[in-house]
Amino acid sequence: MAELPVEIGPMYEGERIRAKQMYVEFGGPKAIGAELVQARSMEEVEDGKIEIIGPDLNEMEEGGSYPLGILIEVAGKDIEKDLEGVIERRIHEFTNYIQGVMHLNQRDDIWIRISKEAYGKGLNSLKIIGEALLRLFKAELSFIEKMQITFYTDPKKVEEFVEFARNVYNERDARARTLSEEDVEEFYNCVLCQSFAPQHVCTITPDRISLCGAISWFDARAAARVDPHGPISRCEKGELLDPTVYEYSGVNEASKEKSGGAIQRVFLHSMFGYPHTSCGCFEALAFYIPEVDGIGIVDRDYTGDTPFGIPFSRMAGQAGGGVQVEGLVGMAIEYLRSPKFFIADGGIRRVVWMPSKVKEEVKDAIPEDLYDKIATEKDAVDLESLKKFLQEKGHPVVERWKEMEEEEVEEEIAEAETTQIAQIPAQVSGMTIPLGGGMKIILENAKIHIDKVIIRRKEKE
Amino acid sequence: MKTKFNIEKFESQGISLKNLEIFIGEVIEEEDWEPMGPYPFPSATDLRDWDFKILKRYKPFYAPYDDTCSLCTLGKCDLTGNKKGACGIDLKATQGRIVLLACVVGTSAHVAHARHLYHDIVKRYGKDLPIDLGSEIEVEAPLTRLITGIRPKTVGDFEPVLEYIEEQLVQMADALHTGQEGSYLDFESKALHVGMLDSLGKEVADILQIVAFNFPKGDSDVHLVEMGIGTMSPERPTILVIGHNVPPALDIADYLIENGLEDKVDIAGICCTSLDITRYYPNAKIVAALSHQIKAIRSGLADVIVVDEQCIRADILEQARRVRAPLIATMDKALHGLKDRTNDDVDKIVEDLVSGKVDGVAILDSEKIGEVAVKVALKVHESRKDVKSLPSDEELKELVNKCIHCNRCTLACPQNLKISEANRIAKTGDLSKLRELYESCISCLRCEQVCPVNIPINDVIMKAAMPLIRNEKGKVRAGRGPIKDTEIRNVGAPIVLGTIPGIIAAIGCDNNPRGAKDVWLLVKEFLDRRFIVTVSGCAAINLGLYKDEDGETLYEKYPGEFDAGGLVNVGSCVANAHIHGAAIKVASIFARRKLRGNYDEIADYILNRVGACGVAWGAYSQKAASIATGFNRLGVPAVVGPHGVKYRRAYLGRRDREEDWTLYNARDGSEVRVEPAPEHLLVAAETIEEAIPLVAKLCMRPNDTPQGRQIKLTHYLDLSMKYLKKYPEDWYLFVRNEADLPLARKEELLKRLEDDYGWKIDWKTKRILEGPIRKVDPSFDPTNLERLIRK
Repeated sequence: MAELPVEIGPMYEGERIRAKQMYVEFGGPKAIGAELVQARSMEEVEDGKIEIIGPDLNEMEEGGSYPLGILIEVAGKDIEKDLEGVIERRIHEFTNYIQGVMHLNQRDDIWIRISKEAYGKGLNSLKIIGEALLRLFKAELSFIEKMQITFYTDPKKVEEFVEFARNVYNERDARARTLSEEDVEEFYNCVLCQSFAPQHVCTITPDRISLCGAISWFDARAAARVDPHGPISRCEKGELLDPTVYEYSGVNEASKEKSGGAIQRVFLHSMFGYPHTSCGCFEALAFYIPEVDGIGIVDRDYTGDTPFGIPFSRMAGQAGGGVQVEGLVGMAIEYLRSPKFFIADGGIRRVVWMPSKVKEEVKDAIPEDLYDKIATEKDAVDLESLKKFLQEKGHPVVERWKEMEEEEVEEEIAEAETTQIAQIPAQVSGMTIPLGGGMKIILENAKIHIDKVIIRRKEKE
Repeated sequence: MKTKFNIEKFESQGISLKNLEIFIGEVIEEEDWEPMGPYPFPSATDLRDWDFKILKRYKPFYAPYDDTCSLCTLGKCDLTGNKKGACGIDLKATQGRIVLLACVVGTSAHVAHARHLYHDIVKRYGKDLPIDLGSEIEVEAPLTRLITGIRPKTVGDFEPVLEYIEEQLVQMADALHTGQEGSYLDFESKALHVGMLDSLGKEVADILQIVAFNFPKGDSDVHLVEMGIGTMSPERPTILVIGHNVPPALDIADYLIENGLEDKVDIAGICCTSLDITRYYPNAKIVAALSHQIKAIRSGLADVIVVDEQCIRADILEQARRVRAPLIATMDKALHGLKDRTNDDVDKIVEDLVSGKVDGVAILDSEKIGEVAVKVALKVHESRKDVKSLPSDEELKELVNKCIHCNRCTLACPQNLKISEANRIAKTGDLSKLRELYESCISCLRCEQVCPVNIPINDVIMKAAMPLIRNEKGKVRAGRGPIKDTEIRNVGAPIVLGTIPGIIAAIGCDNNPRGAKDVWLLVKEFLDRRFIVTVSGCAAINLGLYKDEDGETLYEKYPGEFDAGGLVNVGSCVANAHIHGAAIKVASIFARRKLRGNYDEIADYILNRVGACGVAWGAYSQKAASIATGFNRLGVPAVVGPHGVKYRRAYLGRRDREEDWTLYNARDGSEVRVEPAPEHLLVAAETIEEAIPLVAKLCMRPNDTPQGRQIKLTHYLDLSMKYLKKYPEDWYLFVRNEADLPLARKEELLKRLEDDYGWKIDWKTKRILEGPIRKVDPSFDPTNLERLIRK
């Protein structure tokens, strides 16, 4: 892009433009603004067209704050309405690629600053920003065949545009919330993490965002269209083999292939049996607490102890590496909002503990009557206090305890037997070694030299 | 615990024992926390296969400093032109031997330091002092777990670790003897072994001091410390601590605290001791890195000088005497001819030092050192006010005018500084050129010795640079120690998604050819590009010297967390081990690879996956040699500055040798030809402009995701354009498909691939049809180790 007056590239992403370095700003606290991507038919888009409705940069006063609307219209045979949000979120990244331009936030919350230095170098028209965006978008997202950009700076037009954009966001959010596995034919697999965790395969569905929280079904769909053989690829849903745990034939096959045979079956929405594997960058961990027969959630940012008396870092060490661990499953915080959140195991109503920060963050996803019944580190720091809390608050899992107690009696008997067997070697004084078959060991004038005796204790967690 | 017991007679059903003696040599209680890997406490031969694998690709490249050998009385032997010495050794093996020698010496310094700390800490707190680095660090000692298979719970658990290193070190030193090892490859394998021991010894040392002295345990927002010669106050008594072993400095700090003297006496430090004392006592100041040792002393502002070990000037006593600063030596390793007064009465020692009866003393009991140093500083401060350390303005003129421009100083100068020219201009009254020398001058004093008219050149430069020195006030973020496990998890997604292009470790000494600003430039460049930058030692200190247009140092500008654009000061040289540790944790956290006794698997993982690169721009010591070699064995490449060629050996890959760039796919055992990533393991760069793109290149790995490769290639190309004004000649080798191409230049680069390299491009879809070394296979599981092949 030699002909543009400023440089373009990811090295400018971290650039901050302070008030004193700024030529003008758009949106932010002092003016309104919005950005929106719309999918159009091939005929509706004039490729490469950049239009400015209202004054351009060189007609603005230095130091001023102005309203701005950015409308990007795209067309292509693989483009559909569902990809609009994905394309739109890249505006932030690509605008920041431009030297001397800072872009913060998204949607109707945008705040853009142009530096004096860049203006001085010749960045004196929004057309230049449009030009850069056009090229970056088309280089990155090859399914965009045609693209046109309209900048609104006329205050009245911006007002109308922001209003229009808000309606689109609302519709889009409503669709994203209601879209479920049943509505789609295909899921996606992401193996980006295989570069570090060679066996891990993420299955991404409308009801299950990637464990890192960074890739939704829509994002994956877009990525798979750009590069069908890349790390994010289409996964046939196949047949729903087990509707309670959400085992799909297509997911099993893809996981088997992509994990090199290490993973044979996956239950998408259960922590038991064949749970989803974990990489290392999961945002949070769901862990089963047998003592209360409930599920705990702990996120990466929480540094205290879980009710097990150990922190996230210690627990996370047991998961990860693309291994299926029953009762310990990595997940994104967003998954708590999924209607299928470990639905096989009782879903959100089985959750008994989570850090207060997470609880606050996902408040909207927790049924009102349950909210106060889920303990946080402020209510319970160990199993005893957790048990007491749940009982006091009447958490739904308490109902399950009665059944559990009945089972426990049987288990105790079984356990008692094993314990006895295990104790035999400790009874050295008696030296009764149960030898059968009429055999006798005789050692006379014998010497036994042992260089090293290693007593290996099994670790207790 | 040795046990012996006898059974005279024992009769029972099915068993009869008579005169049975049972000896048990050792009873070890061991936890089964992870299955033991193949190589716990590896000997030199255990990992030889791994060494030979990397040495095959990264062939030792020797730049002999001297092509003779005179280590035994058979010599001096001429080794030029394929000649062998009297013992049969050839030039390559001789160079390998010298490299091993440097590594043995460097490692000994770190390990002896660790051992000394161990004794000191066990004496103070006992062996049962727990090793607890906080809730966010589960893998507390990655190198110890990896190499020895021990998961240390208390300080005492390090005893067998140190014993192991010490034994191995003696074995390796033995291999240096005439008539032992003969193959250069085996010398190199042993050097790599010693480098590994070095990393382990450093880890032991730093964990010991963290838990014993309650240093920060991986806190990213740890306090800022004042730094620079300009922060030394002429008004207050100042104790200057120099070296690497912090206990004496700690005791000085404790004495000040206990006696309420924190506002009355300053502690100022040079080199790693200054980094470590500020992890404990935030009031202490970091005066300078190693190269400013003479400058700090000759400023005359230090009232007492306390030296511990390593990187102390051998003529420290003479230098201290010059400014009438009493010297206290505190370690048996560096006594400087001083009388051992450990058992003398404190007041008697103080009296002798204050009266000038003796220039210095050796005190080997650190608790006494605190009291003596503080008392002496308080007493001599007033009397030292008349110390004239630097020439007056008038004297400066005279000295400059004495110069006969013979240029012997420049010839003697390791940095080839143009001293004579600066003097010529200074004769006109313009001191600017002399002042400019201040930054690049490492005060080695070689110039002063050759000057035929006896100009104290160092002092002349310092005098001319007084305006700079007075304003030399910066900030350094105190050493934070380990990287938290949770931080490693946080960066996992950004690394695979390409938003964090790599991890740079700017470490080591400051024999910087053009001053420390070069390192600052490199670090700033990578921070701005959202790399994670870790620093330690003198490199970490020097960064504090420079401020940007907002008057902020990098430490103030960039957060201290291990994240995109984070500047992580781990601490002193021994804290380097946490950088190895971070790479090891990536394998344990993301791939859940077993660490225990599993060195080669983890090194293989790191070499193929973890995009990290070390930079030791001013490396000078034997420790720097062992540090770099230790990184190399673990699969982390390192770039050294131009003086680095004096280590005599580089590990250079050859991108033109296709057969060197084949890996297995662990999934099916197939052999895959890969791009040369990383191209070298140890390489010297001539200029910082050459080093910056090189470092970016060495962050590429075969496992890069397309997003990751795209961003790495973007920076490689961009930095090459920025600093060398050209595209690098090998950039196309790293392109696997169009998704790897930098976004902003995609079309232009496709065109170049077609025109310059004959690749086939489908212009309609903008896809590459033919040309790359290999295609991207998202499930490629690269390894060099046959044993990891799963089918």
